[in-house]
Amino acid sequence: MSSLSLDRHSISKARLVAARDLRDAVSELRLILAMVALTLAIPIGSAAGIRALAVFGGGTAVVNRLSLVGAFFVVFIPASFSLVLALESFVGERERTTLEVLVSTPLKEAEIYAGKVAAVLAISLTLCYGGLAVYCLVVFPGLGYFPLDVLVALALSTICQVAAMVAGAVIISLNARTMRAANVMASFIILPMSVALQVEAALILLGRSEFLWGFAGLMLVLAAILLRMGLNGFSREALLARDSGLRKPMQRAANAIRASFQHRPGFLRLLWLRRGALVISSLGLPAGAVAGFVAGTTGAIPASVVKPVLSTLVASAGDGTPFDEAVAIVSHNLLAILLVAPLALITAGLSGFLLTFMPGFLVGFAAAHSSWATALTGIVPNGIVEIPVAIIAGGLAIHIGAAAIHMEASGGWTARVLAAGADYLRALRWLVPALILAGVLEVRFG
Amino acid sequence: MLEVKGLAKRYGEVLALSDLTVDVDERSCLVLLGRNGAGKTTALRCMAGVLAPTHGTVRVDGIDAAIEPAAVRARVGLMPELPGLYERMSARAYLDYFGAIYDMEPGARKRRIDELLELFELTDAGDRWLGTFSKGMRQKVALIRATLHRPRLVLADEPTSALDPDSARRAWAYLKDLQAGGCALVICTHNMDEAEHLGASADGDGAIGIMSSGRALAIGDISELRRRSGLQVRKEVRELPTLQDVYLAIVGNHHHELAEPRSA
Repeated sequence: MSSLSLDRHSISKARLVAARDLRDAVSELRLILAMVALTLAIPIGSAAGIRALAVFGGGTAVVNRLSLVGAFFVVFIPASFSLVLALESFVGERERTTLEVLVSTPLKEAEIYAGKVAAVLAISLTLCYGGLAVYCLVVFPGLGYFPLDVLVALALSTICQVAAMVAGAVIISLNARTMRAANVMASFIILPMSVALQVEAALILLGRSEFLWGFAGLMLVLAAILLRMGLNGFSREALLARDSGLRKPMQRAANAIRASFQHRPGFLRLLWLRRGALVISSLGLPAGAVAGFVAGTTGAIPASVVKPVLSTLVASAGDGTPFDEAVAIVSHNLLAILLVAPLALITAGLSGFLLTFMPGFLVGFAAAHSSWATALTGIVPNGIVEIPVAIIAGGLAIHIGAAAIHMEASGGWTARVLAAGADYLRALRWLVPALILAGVLEVRFG
Repeated sequence: MLEVKGLAKRYGEVLALSDLTVDVDERSCLVLLGRNGAGKTTALRCMAGVLAPTHGTVRVDGIDAAIEPAAVRARVGLMPELPGLYERMSARAYLDYFGAIYDMEPGARKRRIDELLELFELTDAGDRWLGTFSKGMRQKVALIRATLHRPRLVLADEPTSALDPDSARRAWAYLKDLQAGGCALVICTHNMDEAEHLGASADGDGAIGIMSSGRALAIGDISELRRRSGLQVRKEVRELPTLQDVYLAIVGNHHHELAEPRSA
């Protein structure tokens, strides 16, 4: 496994790689023109539009909010450009075989990786912050409004978004030999990132800087995870050795799925092997309860937000015959544990933690508005079965997420994720009957 | 200089190289012949410390490539089959970049680059972008890059496949000079003239290895390979069988054996 502990010599080598990549990027006239346009024309155009709105009586509140959305827009375009630069830097070089030459030198993987990532980050962030600076200089002096906290949070989350896209491109480069394949695979980065950007845009419109800071923190964690994955996966073996052995892809895929179900541990042995993930999952319940109680007592989250969720949950139990009620409860719980596994893949296992955290939160919130005794009454006796099921499903989902964000230079990512998924599916043989039992208990004694 | 013992390399389900054992001394040259997919490139990558062997060991100057791959790569000059040049860099800037990677002093680097550009008649083109270079010129730059830092071991995959005959002879002479200067060479080629020139010299400092399906079928000097091939002096013209004849005889026999395995 690579390590990013770079000494002085390594830093100088990484700088050498970064300097070459930077020179290469700015040697392309079309790229320079695009950079100038992104850094100057778009920010100036956006800022001029907002200033015009202010002059022609757009209303202070609207103009102030729009000025923030404009800042987001100005930063977002060059940030998305980083994906193209990163794909070109890694996959493009691989396709042109220049990366093969580079990896045949004494350079360490970490030096090449750090140099290339630094070059892409430098270009992308220069564009982002250059554009943002131009925009701020044009738009804010005339408005008498300068939301420094929001802009700093935006700047921080931009670094993380760019880093996340660059790291994602590195991971793609390990699995794509051509730019065409890489562009197709880039959808796996663009789509989740576009969702993240929409969330960010919504938070900017809300105008609450604390939410933006929270978002920036999440992006920081995501960027750190992806950069680590990229570093661990970036190896000479991965870049050169996987060119072979890729014949009969469908048969290989079928064999891989079949193999993931073979020689797996039994249910109790599996629980022992995943004890760490199960402990994390089980902590979700009390953590959620405490968080819910605090949120309820302090009014951090208004009751009007949570009560509809509780009402929906109660309504989902149905009001028909006991059989209908049991079916509704089991279906609801089954849907939750079926969704949590695929979601774990794209949330790094967070969905597994939320499987126990969210019920805990609702119990804690209900306790804040009534009492612990009343709140806990709502989850017995069915909870005696449901809670262990949620802990096990959550723990196994956390393990799926952990497998998804763990890359090794020797490869084997697919096999590890498939094995984690197979363990989850095999565990359902025990979890589904337990959920049916819980449904019956809830209808009969709840 | 280069000691390879029981080298094997597997890519997933594909065994690209199996049980290769070979020693190449200082001032020696080993030429590897074989069909496409015979495992020559994989062998070079393992010898260069770029790929880790699945089994076996590779030592360069006594350094185990599995334990200190970076130290091995610092002593090796690898010239892959494709030049892999940066299109938007001048030849000088490109070579200077790689010289810096190999920790060459700026002054020494510049002198060496000038010397080699002149040797390969690229001085005038030295400041042009590599994207404007012809195929042969690119291959010359790749050869210069691989040998710029005066490596102890040069590993070259078809080093003259894109060169005209005159340039190819110049490249062979350059490789021979490196060899005479104490360097060891391992050359993969499909060019029998090149193989004979580099690997079958009269002074006995060359050897030829014939590979097929990831295995070394025969390794030795030309007379030993002639003996192994079973071919005799051509009576009608009274000349020794050429390396081409020897190669085809050995590879042909191997494939015949694979197609019709002997019964017990």
